[in-house]
Amino acid sequence: MTSVLELCKLLDRSAIGTDIRESLLFPFIEGAHVLALSLSIGLVVITDLRLMGIVMRNRPASEIWSQFFPWMMSGFAVMFLTGALLFWSHALSAYHSTAFRVKLLLLILSGLNAAIYHVTIYRKLEQWDASPTPPLQARLAGWTSLILWAGVITMGRIMAYTF
Amino acid sequence: MIAASIYPFFAWCERTWVCKEITLHESLFPALETIHLFGLVLLLGTVLILSLRLLGLLMPHQPVPELARALGRYTALGLGIMLPSGVLMFVATAVRCYGNTSFWVKMCFLAAALVFHFTYFRKALCSENSQNARLAACGALFLWFGVGAAGRSIGFLG
Repeated sequence: MTSVLELCKLLDRSAIGTDIRESLLFPFIEGAHVLALSLSIGLVVITDLRLMGIVMRNRPASEIWSQFFPWMMSGFAVMFLTGALLFWSHALSAYHSTAFRVKLLLLILSGLNAAIYHVTIYRKLEQWDASPTPPLQARLAGWTSLILWAGVITMGRIMAYTF
Repeated sequence: MIAASIYPFFAWCERTWVCKEITLHESLFPALETIHLFGLVLLLGTVLILSLRLLGLLMPHQPVPELARALGRYTALGLGIMLPSGVLMFVATAVRCYGNTSFWVKMCFLAAALVFHFTYFRKALCSENSQNARLAACGALFLWFGVGAAGRSIGFLG
């Protein structure tokens, strides 16, 4: 952990980190990070709701997934890019922030949930693609994703208070 | 100035028990902000999807009115979450809001966005191949994201 701490110190004290922290760049990057929630998590929520069998039940799950995927990914690209810059400017505070650590953990769990879904029930997609109510495992993946992303947003909001 | 004549209302907000409760419990304001963000995901997320559809960039095979019916309740839910949580945050910080330019900009954007949403945008969502689809989409995106951007700057730029 010492080397991680050293790296965070290095980032925090770097010219770029200081520039972002002490200029108007910070609110602009943070604003972009918040507004891109709509494109990233906004589209994830609707995809989750389809998996849960709640929204657009008459459309195949695969259609929603393939249509949303490129937009969702561009949303997450903005999130990770702006998130990385925000982290760079507050690396030391983030290192010591419990909320930030929980946020990272929830992001990993969210990725894990998506990975498990893709190697299990998604493999049998053709069997349930058109069904209004997907099988239990797919519905659970949707619920889990929704709850984890709500947690990510909550931790993101809380960590800003510890800076 | 109109704003000056309504200043007593802002001062009164901060004398209400709602304001006192929110100020007293440290975690209430961050909780309201988080709930406000949940609403933002639903509201801006669905407005974005519907606007991309109107622009022909998303789900081109799904009829616009059908998509609007499926997602409309989530836009409404998002708004139903954002408005009360926003009002509570306002009541807790009314006097600060009064002197905050970004707050007034946000309120102007919000009024315009609501009017545009329930008239022009809604009309464009009712018909397939509306001639005004592009303008409706661009207008909704500009106004709603304007509300969000101004809202974010309340805490930063003043």
